[in-house]
Amino acid sequence: MSAASVIADWSAPNQERARRLLETYPEERSAVMPLLYLASLEHGYLTSAGMTQVAQLTGLTSAQVQSVASFYTMFKRDHVGRYLISVCTSISCYLLGADDVLAAVETETTARDGTTSVDGAFTVEHVECIGACGGAPAVQVNYELVEGVLPEKATALCKWLRETSPDVVMTDAMQKSFGGVRSFDWGIGEEQGAVAPVPAFGPYGSTGGESAR
Amino acid sequence: MPERPPPEMVTITIDGREVEVPQGEYIIKVAEDLGTYIPRFCYHPRMTPVGLCRMCLVEVETPRGRLLTTACNTPVAPEMIVDTESAVVQKAQEGILEFLLINHPLDCPVCDKGGECPLQDQTVAYGPGESRFVEEKRHFEKPIPLSDIVLMDRERCILCARCTRFSEEVSGDPLIEFVGRGNQTHVITFPDEPFASYFSGNTVEICPVGALTAKPYRFKARPWDLEAIESVSMVDASGASISIETSQNEVVRINGIDNDATNHGWLSDKDRFIFQAVNSENRLTAPLVRDDAGNLQPTSWGEALDRVADALGSVRGDEVASIGGANNTNEEAFALGKFLRSVVMTPHIDVQVGDALNPDFLVGITPRAEIRDLDRAATILVWAGDLKEEFPTLYLRVRRAVTQMGAKLVVVHPRRTGLDDLAAAKITYRPGEGPEVVRKLAAGADADYAAARELLTAGSVTALIGLTGRAEDPRLAEVVAAYALDLPGAKVLPLARRGNVFGGLDMGLAPTLLPGRVPVTSESGRAELESAWGPLPDAVGRDAAAILAGLAEGEVKVLLLVGADPVRDGRNPDSARAALAAADFVVSFDMFLNDSNQHAAVVLPVDGFAETEGTVTNVEGRVQKAYRSMTWDRLVWGPERDGVVMPDGPGIQELQYTPDGGGVRSTAGRLALHSGRVLYDAGTRNVQSPALAALVPDPAVYLHPRDASALALTDSQVVDVTGEFGAVRLPVRIDATLAEGSAYVPANLESTWMLGVPDVVTIEASSAEEVAE
Amino acid sequence: MSFPLILTERMTAHPADSHRLDRYEATGGYETLREALGAMKPEDILEQVKAANIQGRGGAAFPAGIKWGFLAPAEPRYLVINGDESEPGTFKDRQLLERDPHQLLEGAILTSFCIGANHAFIYIRGEYPKPARRVQQAVEAAYAKGYLGQNILGSGFDLDVTVHLGGGAYICGEETALLNSLEGQRGEPRLKPPFPAVEGLYAKPTIVNNVETISNIPWIVANGGDAYAAIGDVDSVGTRMFSLSGHLKKPGNYEVPMGLTWRELIYEVGGGIRDDRELKCWVPGGASAPWFVAEHLDTKVTKDDCARAGSMLGSGAVIVMDDTTNVVAAAHRIVKFFAHESCGQCTPCREGTTWLERILWRLLNGAGRPSDIDLLLDICDGISPGLAWPPRMTTICPLGPSAVSPITSIMTHFRDEVEAMIPGLQEVAHA
Ligand SMILES: Cc1cc2nc3c(=O)[nH]c(=O)nc-3n(C[C@H](O)[C@H](O)[C@H](O)COP(=O)(O)O)c2cc1C
Ligand code: SF4
Ligand code: FES
Repeated sequence: MSAASVIADWSAPNQERARRLLETYPEERSAVMPLLYLASLEHGYLTSAGMTQVAQLTGLTSAQVQSVASFYTMFKRDHVGRYLISVCTSISCYLLGADDVLAAVETETTARDGTTSVDGAFTVEHVECIGACGGAPAVQVNYELVEGVLPEKATALCKWLRETSPDVVMTDAMQKSFGGVRSFDWGIGEEQGAVAPVPAFGPYGSTGGESAR
Repeated sequence: MPERPPPEMVTITIDGREVEVPQGEYIIKVAEDLGTYIPRFCYHPRMTPVGLCRMCLVEVETPRGRLLTTACNTPVAPEMIVDTESAVVQKAQEGILEFLLINHPLDCPVCDKGGECPLQDQTVAYGPGESRFVEEKRHFEKPIPLSDIVLMDRERCILCARCTRFSEEVSGDPLIEFVGRGNQTHVITFPDEPFASYFSGNTVEICPVGALTAKPYRFKARPWDLEAIESVSMVDASGASISIETSQNEVVRINGIDNDATNHGWLSDKDRFIFQAVNSENRLTAPLVRDDAGNLQPTSWGEALDRVADALGSVRGDEVASIGGANNTNEEAFALGKFLRSVVMTPHIDVQVGDALNPDFLVGITPRAEIRDLDRAATILVWAGDLKEEFPTLYLRVRRAVTQMGAKLVVVHPRRTGLDDLAAAKITYRPGEGPEVVRKLAAGADADYAAARELLTAGSVTALIGLTGRAEDPRLAEVVAAYALDLPGAKVLPLARRGNVFGGLDMGLAPTLLPGRVPVTSESGRAELESAWGPLPDAVGRDAAAILAGLAEGEVKVLLLVGADPVRDGRNPDSARAALAAADFVVSFDMFLNDSNQHAAVVLPVDGFAETEGTVTNVEGRVQKAYRSMTWDRLVWGPERDGVVMPDGPGIQELQYTPDGGGVRSTAGRLALHSGRVLYDAGTRNVQSPALAALVPDPAVYLHPRDASALALTDSQVVDVTGEFGAVRLPVRIDATLAEGSAYVPANLESTWMLGVPDVVTIEASSAEEVAE
Repeated sequence: MSFPLILTERMTAHPADSHRLDRYEATGGYETLREALGAMKPEDILEQVKAANIQGRGGAAFPAGIKWGFLAPAEPRYLVINGDESEPGTFKDRQLLERDPHQLLEGAILTSFCIGANHAFIYIRGEYPKPARRVQQAVEAAYAKGYLGQNILGSGFDLDVTVHLGGGAYICGEETALLNSLEGQRGEPRLKPPFPAVEGLYAKPTIVNNVETISNIPWIVANGGDAYAAIGDVDSVGTRMFSLSGHLKKPGNYEVPMGLTWRELIYEVGGGIRDDRELKCWVPGGASAPWFVAEHLDTKVTKDDCARAGSMLGSGAVIVMDDTTNVVAAAHRIVKFFAHESCGQCTPCREGTTWLERILWRLLNGAGRPSDIDLLLDICDGISPGLAWPPRMTTICPLGPSAVSPITSIMTHFRDEVEAMIPGLQEVAHA
């Protein structure tokens, strides 16, 4: 089966990205995870249909793809809100009040940990260490990081998301408005960010802006 | 035969005992051979070790001190010192068991595995006393069906990855997999994609707990009530070793037995579940005779046998013929043959049902391969039916040879087969054009086949040769074999499918063969047999097709059907039916009524599989005992007993390579028919096994996309498929794996058999919407 | 305190744009590569890396030069750079990826040239999209300038670099799990042997090194292995990135020479404890490491000194806790992490870590039982027999034993606090 016919319902750029991904690796199976991100981007989350498409692209069974996908926490196999708020509650963030941050986020978004708000705007989850311990407590919005987010700032961040409903969320911009202590000097800001609850990275096509090189 | 060099031996110390063991063997195996059983769950001797369950921990001395290591994946090395029962080891094993049990439901009293459960047994042997786990156990939805046959209870699963490994590594259909991570890991299929593997039952057998269960056995019996006997599967001629397990005189389960010569313990689901037919309500229980109104009525054995004796007594010997016998043991076949030849005095005997290869070829080819040769072959040539459908356990063996032992595979077939994914070279050809393929392969000029040719001349070749489909000219196989035997280090395994067909041939159930593979035409051979049996007919007999023709012409008058159904299994159903109708007298020996014997004068119910005892001969000529736990190397019929001597070599003339053998078939605008078999067929025993009946696929005709578009046909459209012997209405399936110019119709499904087996068919859009049943 | 910097010199001097190719080139970037490809043979680079005696920075501290020397002769070979950085407390690789991706790339090219790899993979954890973007941009810029691709700088050496994002699984930091993940499989560690240098990615010889390890290579090649080995302490040489977090005045990443004392690292580099409270304890090398307490303040920050004191430098993460900390709750957080991140293959890790977590949870919620202390230690013993350091294991990889560290730590240093949480226990003990 040709790749194009398997993912005919994907956007043209993502079809092209899928094709390139399959060529990038010495063995096609290596493209499974990047393709799973693409499938998630296409369908809003990782649907059964998406897993089957990835299976057909890589010559695996759907069961094999499901097995791989379910191993990783970032392939969401259920509906995800427009903004995925991940609150780190691992040790360093915990020591600096992460539980209060999580509570603040739950209150403001009306989504309990592990669930999606009724209006579909937010999915809230607590996560293990996201490598921002020097800037604890830390949260991510669609995997875009904000460091030094004390509870009040977290509330403000969620409010801002609800009220302005930005199409693209950018780590530097959010850090500026809602962040505090950082793990290190971030340097000049980036003009790009995430358009969906999928890590915004060139090959997955969710960066929402041209690279500011 | 060039044997592998024996492994190098190394000296190690196990539990203080110095021993010589083969280098590279895993500690767990070495210890077991020495009588020390190291407990284990995930280790399985026929699969790659994964070292997951950690139950097999032992202590090994290393330069870094004594280390705990898993015995299942640690090879022995010179001077190794292993301690399998130190205090540290015992504590570790107790710990593992406690860990395994904390989330286990401990529902042993209602679990099918209770009584034969390694987890239960090892807990008794190595486990801690009481559970210290006071938290709530992990919960999953109660048993969910993974397929029509297999159910999964995830709470019992200990995540040993035996089932998933089997599916991925052994059977090659990874449809059940680990899902989730860590403590949430479980085993399951993809939503709406059932565990539709021909081999799914093996996972039930190797699951070390009661997580996987099979519907046919669920809640049927408790292990301690079971009686097990060793036997041989008769689903195909591979001779798979099985254990038949009965409870209160009823077969409740079949398990595989690890026989290195044949099946390594694996079975197809058909091997495993077809026993249900033995327990079928529909089995014949009393003899039936046709009454004056033409209906079959139950009667006494005395009356039925009198009728048969009268019929046999009323005609000349050579007016009697017999078809069938492949479901019988060698002893039964021998008795039948002796009765027919020396008492009835008829030479018209055929164990095959007119869909078969030349018996001389089947038993006479030399050098004949053993199944084990697959493990050593550099190249394997499969030019035969789709092994996955026709010889499932042999398919696994070829799969293993390719995926684990480094053999290269060449497949020649008119269509995609189950082995194609593993093939280093595949040749697809239009039915009827096989001789062309042989010519090109042998001539060494055609660029198309360069890859195949290179593989076939690179090293020792083991060739599995049979009919790719029923419309194939049987002589083609002989041509292919003659070609193959010229290849380097070649051995040929000639494939005929039915259970004990090779035993039948060896016992002389063939028009050209006397018992012991002696040609009927051999004066000395016959004379020797006559000295034991008395006078015998000296003519070459009729084969099944000629017997049916003889019935129609009135030259054959009395027919014995021995578990045979020529209406379904022959080439032309209508003429077979007419031939049976023309017979003076037909007596059928069978477990069920079928399309052929419902017209018989007398039907005698017979013992089925698992109810008789004897020997069975497989495709390699290996004779195995059904019912006793031993494998005989070769059965020798001593002359002092039966006057039969097995010849050393072939009893037939050398096969000649005749490139024109069979000839190329002209299709003249029509499509060449490829008539292959599928595993789950509409045959009586399959249909009488509830677990299997549901798996029979829907009939259809498969067309190459270009042929379909030339005929202006689309997928699922209903067409009339017409051949020489009849027509049948089927939906179209587009299938790009077919050779262009051919049509594939699975031969053994409900309705497709009515087409018979013509060489070519025409296909036309049908005016009717519905497919005829 | 200020020290000569190797890895962070450029980003310190040019905080705004150290990640850009123009800045990198303007500060001497890719000069080393140009010279090495012209003048050096692969063996020469190996010699320098061996002389540098740099220990891997991913956690196991295995000397990089020796590892490279183990590479099997088969081809193709691969370089895989481990940027999965998920050990709680660790965020140093993030800075190196984000702020100086070309330094890493130059290291990757030199390393690939040395080991004969024509394809290198940079595996970055999925939660690091910005670092991945920065590296991807750097890769594209490097291709455009001829530092990557065919015939690099006219040397005849070819190299492709692929940036690969993880999917959210700490265990993929373990090198063989990472390789499985990169092959499109579940990130489950493999049985060793074979080691990656013999059978790694696609069963081919593969070198796996940490981001920080590879980022050091340009400096080592430029300045010579001996110069590198001269920095730091006797056996632990060079500088190291430490990620300081927790109750500190100045959390963050710091590059310091090996061989300071913990007191210097915590009180001078990290600015001391917030609000000038008392130091209670710290986790010295990422969540897997046994904890240190005040008595260890004068221990030197080297591999051997920490090993002798019963812990490790691990991933370079230092998590500091002050006297307000509930150590049982802190230990619970860490154990919970490992329970969540266990791949699930090995029985003791899969079942043991969750069990430990649930007992600690009970303790924290006032439902502890007097037998729980022995039970916790016994479960730990089932995962890591003897509770020794370095740990013995009943598992394939060290993740399971990592969950044991926080428990043995609180039992060793704060047993009274644990007992105080269990209703009835102290009364019984004193009766
Ligand atoms: C559970 C576990 C997690 C690990 N996580 C990481 C990691 O995130 N990053 C890393 O570089 N090494 C990690 N390692 C170490 C790697 O297995 C490997 O030793 C390292 O990447 C080799 O690179 P190095 O020699 O340059 O340190 C981890 C090891 C284990 C057992
Ligand atoms: S279902 Fe059975 S065979 Fe499969 S992993 Fe679980 S315990 Fe093992
Ligand atoms: S039998 Fe060795 S780890 Fe399972």
